[in-house]
Amino acid sequence: MKKLTRRELLRNNFISAAHAAEKDETSKEPKWAMVIDLAKCIGCDTCTVACKSENRTPPGVTYNVVLTEEKGNYPNVKATQVPRPCMQCDRPPCAQVCPVKATYKMTNGITAIDYDRCIGCRYCIVACPYGARYFDFGGTYEQEMLAYDEVQAPEYGTQRGKRGSKNSPTSVTRKCHFCYHRLLRDEEPACVEVCLGDARYFGDLSNPNSIVSKLAKSPRAFYLKEEMGTHPRVIYLK
Amino acid sequence: MSTQLTVEQKMTKTNKKNPLTLWYVFLVILLALGAVALAARVNGGLGTTNLTSSMPWGAWVSFYIYFVGMSAGAFLLSSLIHVFDMKHLRKVGRDATLVAIISMILALCFILLDLGRMDRFWHALWYGNITSVLAYEVRFYGIYIVLLLTELYFSLRHDLILQAKGDGLKAKIARLLKLGSKDATEEGRQKDWRMLKILGSIGIPIAIFGVHGGTGLLFAVVKAQPYWNTALFPVIFVVSALVSGTALVTVIYIIRNWATGELVEQSLVKSLAGWMILFLVVDVGLQVFEILVGLYGLEHQEIATLFTMFTSRFSWSYWGVQLVIGVLIPILLYINSRTRNSTKGMLVAAIAVVIGILGVRFNIVIPALTVPVLPGLPTGYYFPTLVEGGTSLGVMGLGLLIYTVSARYLPMDTKANDIT
Repeated sequence: MKKLTRRELLRNNFISAAHAAEKDETSKEPKWAMVIDLAKCIGCDTCTVACKSENRTPPGVTYNVVLTEEKGNYPNVKATQVPRPCMQCDRPPCAQVCPVKATYKMTNGITAIDYDRCIGCRYCIVACPYGARYFDFGGTYEQEMLAYDEVQAPEYGTQRGKRGSKNSPTSVTRKCHFCYHRLLRDEEPACVEVCLGDARYFGDLSNPNSIVSKLAKSPRAFYLKEEMGTHPRVIYLK
Repeated sequence: MSTQLTVEQKMTKTNKKNPLTLWYVFLVILLALGAVALAARVNGGLGTTNLTSSMPWGAWVSFYIYFVGMSAGAFLLSSLIHVFDMKHLRKVGRDATLVAIISMILALCFILLDLGRMDRFWHALWYGNITSVLAYEVRFYGIYIVLLLTELYFSLRHDLILQAKGDGLKAKIARLLKLGSKDATEEGRQKDWRMLKILGSIGIPIAIFGVHGGTGLLFAVVKAQPYWNTALFPVIFVVSALVSGTALVTVIYIIRNWATGELVEQSLVKSLAGWMILFLVVDVGLQVFEILVGLYGLEHQEIATLFTMFTSRFSWSYWGVQLVIGVLIPILLYINSRTRNSTKGMLVAAIAVVIGILGVRFNIVIPALTVPVLPGLPTGYYFPTLVEGGTSLGVMGLGLLIYTVSARYLPMDTKANDIT
């Protein structure tokens, strides 16, 4: 029997963890993607709120935002809403520039950050063409929200104890990870689950029969800042 | 023996206590201020700054590239002197090398302050990423500092041996720093010069492409910021490094010789200033190209960045600091033959350039980050906090202190008879 190196062993474990999220154990590892139908988005910001409560992000850290762009002059004004999670680019500029490989591509398509390796240089924040990365300056909602500091979200499936403890991801960069900890237990990302207009779809882009694969081929499909060459895994529908 | 005598004589000359004591008091105040600010920074993390996620880099990063540039510029000047045998400039060779070392130390202090997790600074060396410019830069800085220290050693070695004779603190320090070398012959000195030539030749490409061009590249590869994303950008970095490095060496040469009561060579100052103005003109020309290409590109984010620089409430740092102080005043002072031939005139010109380049560095970092990368994202706003300002003053105070102490105890002066 071929001996496994430690790296292979870790990777295999990782893959099987991700597989657990899929019903079919024999299928290839999913490649997660999200589709956002702008025609269905009503700009209610529910996704933003759900994201904040799911990931218990501190002040100034907002993995998902709904951008409002006003077009035209009064009285002929039209506002368009563009929800913006992390694009989970297949060619991520953030991972390209990270000096310590704290941010990297997981095999399931998610761009992850290793909170225990990040040195907080913020080069990735500067390099992200979507402004999707946030620095955790150590703020807290303790004043507004009772017991906010008591527990942190188990991001990437890791328990990080109380906020402000040694393990909290403060003074490092944070970002949306498609709620990876939810995917591990077979749940959709929080923003997808709560979307009022059902504007968000989530699934496996490597499966040609998945709804995201079908929608990705729609003539309405486009990517944010496609000219950046980043190959996002978040697909928008006009 | 005669050399030693002159050293002694100079020591007595330097001992005009008052101005020096005042200078040390000033440095101690700067350092104390820095220490208080540093304590606040360590306790409060980056929350003590005015940085945000939309404005992730600020004063510390600007100072970092400022001092990297200063270092690379001063080093390139010293290398040009050694490699191309510019004998008339040899007198500032040691100053240039020392300034290069100190500036690089300051640059690293600034980038350390800027790290969210200062305790993980070693990750930058332990881990790596083959696609990250910053990962290469960190290593280049290490190689570069070692190279600079070696170069300083070989340029001082001969005089350290002379200084090591006798007793007193200066001799003791020299005995320690000469690293056991005993060869005080003329041949040994020729060997040193050859060594300096070799080190300079290795150092020039490292400084140009690795250290400073690389720091420019760090910005230039960021496609998300179109204002930085040009191949000319690292070139401008190197040229402006030469401008600021030459200017700082000029300032230091004049002030050090005034402070020690030595004669300031007017022809040397004029020659240095000439190089400085030449580099400055090239720098401005390249920047004009850069801005024109940006404007003609009609790319929204780039134009917004340029207009932030030209018209925002901080545009004084562009028109006032960068252009009037950093370009107009030094060029006018150099054109006017009366100021060109006066040490004071050229000192003012060089100080103006040193200040002006600071404006250049801030205007590289801040305006580009002010403009949101997607419509609807918040527009950045940044002005440094007292903690950022205090730590910056402290770090600069540290640099001045290292310089003052080094200049006092190391044989910084190349004797007239050394220049053969």
